[in-house]
Amino acid sequence: MTDEGKKISSPKGEVLVIAEQILGELQPVTLELLGAGRYLSDKLGSQLTCLVMGHNLAEITEKLVSYGADAVYVADHPDLTCYRTLTYRRVVVDLLDSLAIPPHICLLGSTTTGRDLAPRIAAHFETGLTADCTELDVGPYEHKSKVDPSKVGIYEECLYAIRPSFGESLKARILGPWKNPQMATTRPGQMTPLKPDSNRQAKIIPVQVSIKPEDNRLIVAETLREVGKGIKLQEADVIVAGGYGLGSADGFQLMNQLAACFPNSAVGSSRKVVDLGWIPYEHQVGQTGKTVRPKVYIACGISGAIQHRVGMSKSSLIIAINKDVDAPIFKFAHHGIVGDIFQIVPEMIRQLESVKSDKEVQTVVSTH
Amino acid sequence: MPAPYEIFVLVKQVPDQGSKAGLNPDGTIDRAKAKRMLNPFDRYALQAALHTKKCYGGRVTAISMGPPPAVEILMEALEHGVDRGVLLSDRRLAASDTLATAYALFKTVTWVGRFDLIFCGLQTTDGDTAQVGPQLAERLGLPQITYCQDFKVEDDKVHAERIIEGGYQKLISELPVLITVANSYHPLDYKSFRGAWRVQQLLRNQEEQKKYIQTVDLDLVGADPERCGLKGSPTIVAATEKVGEIGGNCSMHEGHSPTDLVSEVLDASKLKEFLTV
Repeated sequence: MTDEGKKISSPKGEVLVIAEQILGELQPVTLELLGAGRYLSDKLGSQLTCLVMGHNLAEITEKLVSYGADAVYVADHPDLTCYRTLTYRRVVVDLLDSLAIPPHICLLGSTTTGRDLAPRIAAHFETGLTADCTELDVGPYEHKSKVDPSKVGIYEECLYAIRPSFGESLKARILGPWKNPQMATTRPGQMTPLKPDSNRQAKIIPVQVSIKPEDNRLIVAETLREVGKGIKLQEADVIVAGGYGLGSADGFQLMNQLAACFPNSAVGSSRKVVDLGWIPYEHQVGQTGKTVRPKVYIACGISGAIQHRVGMSKSSLIIAINKDVDAPIFKFAHHGIVGDIFQIVPEMIRQLESVKSDKEVQTVVSTH
Repeated sequence: MPAPYEIFVLVKQVPDQGSKAGLNPDGTIDRAKAKRMLNPFDRYALQAALHTKKCYGGRVTAISMGPPPAVEILMEALEHGVDRGVLLSDRRLAASDTLATAYALFKTVTWVGRFDLIFCGLQTTDGDTAQVGPQLAERLGLPQITYCQDFKVEDDKVHAERIIEGGYQKLISELPVLITVANSYHPLDYKSFRGAWRVQQLLRNQEEQKKYIQTVDLDLVGADPERCGLKGSPTIVAATEKVGEIGGNCSMHEGHSPTDLVSEVLDASKLKEFLTV
């Protein structure tokens, strides 16, 4: 008797989204995850649930319901006001332990909080976790490899966690159907939230919070947010992004100058130049940076690796400047210029400036 | 005098993405041919470990997992002033995902011995997951500080700044603790003359090298091979697909003077319309 063709379906667990708030402000990625989670749970025929941790959560809870959760677990406790690895971890672990069957899928944002918490949960339950997914789906999978005979079989409803694979123009579908919850994180901006509907109803389930003394080995003394400060990459209409082709950190001066031609613009970058320390991380666009969809994206000296592409391919107009005619970016840009950035960009600035000053002259004339 | 600390730093050898060596025409990577380098994020972890030793005293041990060539990055760490290196190398580790990797590192770290601080890079450039650090902390039952951009140690407590969206948090953690270091931390200092000289000596003397860099396997550290490699990994890459060419009809502009190229593109793309709100 072999196990081949053996169909394996686990009891239908829920799809659980772990919500994220900073200083009482619900983070948009949670609403996006509820959108993705709704799709998955409808396909599975299971419930979409959401766990929110913090203090004074009534307003947030309401919002989670209107964005699609069938049930909301609310862990409301003064000790949970700020995110802390060990206290939040305790609540999640206790909640999952208390469920009759584990969630089928568990989703978190790929944020500084989600990337801190998700691996702890996955390691505790020894279950699979896929980071920075760009697509999520469920579907069947047949495992044929006999390396581990206990894994062989047909799995009906696996989480397809899809992310670009390293340095390659390939998307990898990562699966872990052997144990639930099957876990994944996604970057802010990747998934689409549902339209909020205040008529939606949900079960509100208070969660018992029992923090242990050892969870207080780590405390938060202060949380400082400089909202309004820093760059607004995701809100910009025009992004001028620089890559390795700039040659050095100085090249970003040129990027700033080009960006300054446009109102509501920002400077972005590829990941490599952030690694090299040419520009701070907050400018990074791509799988491990920000996902942007501006009206115009001007990519200068960026080759267009898949990791960068997933963060900007939804831009309405992509103009690429690169001296390498074979650069992958020319495969998906709308306009490509083959040439030297240090010749093309200054010329572009000059021509744009001259249009602008013409317009200003016109305006001055017309007001007279 | 502050207590001398046992400081561990975890490092990984990754393919060099800047180099075209080993890049197959279809866009996949031939890891055997690809150039190898120290994971760039680990440079910040190394700096944090060496800084801790310099300020508070102690010993720095660099720990890595990988095939035998990974000894190169331990040598590099030694050149920067790390005191010793340990490489976990075992064929049975092939195809380990992050959970299996964290398990193997957990066994290695506990085998190496007592520690006060473990530093890791924020993530690797080949996996990009940022998962192994926190998963190791979970196995070790430790508090963790991820995205750490600055820290000091006072009265056996770490006071750290941790990046969050749109700001940062000030955290205080008891020792021992695991810290993943953000790339907004100080860049790695140049190699020390003494370190570089010592490595030169080690390269000439295999016996001497073994005193500084130890290679261990799963049996020695007491790791269960069933929990490593493909068998110990809860996730697999089930399928890969080529990414379709979106747009795919890029209009290319080349061959003229910069002036003509730019005016051509400005007209074709209607970029001028975006100059006013």
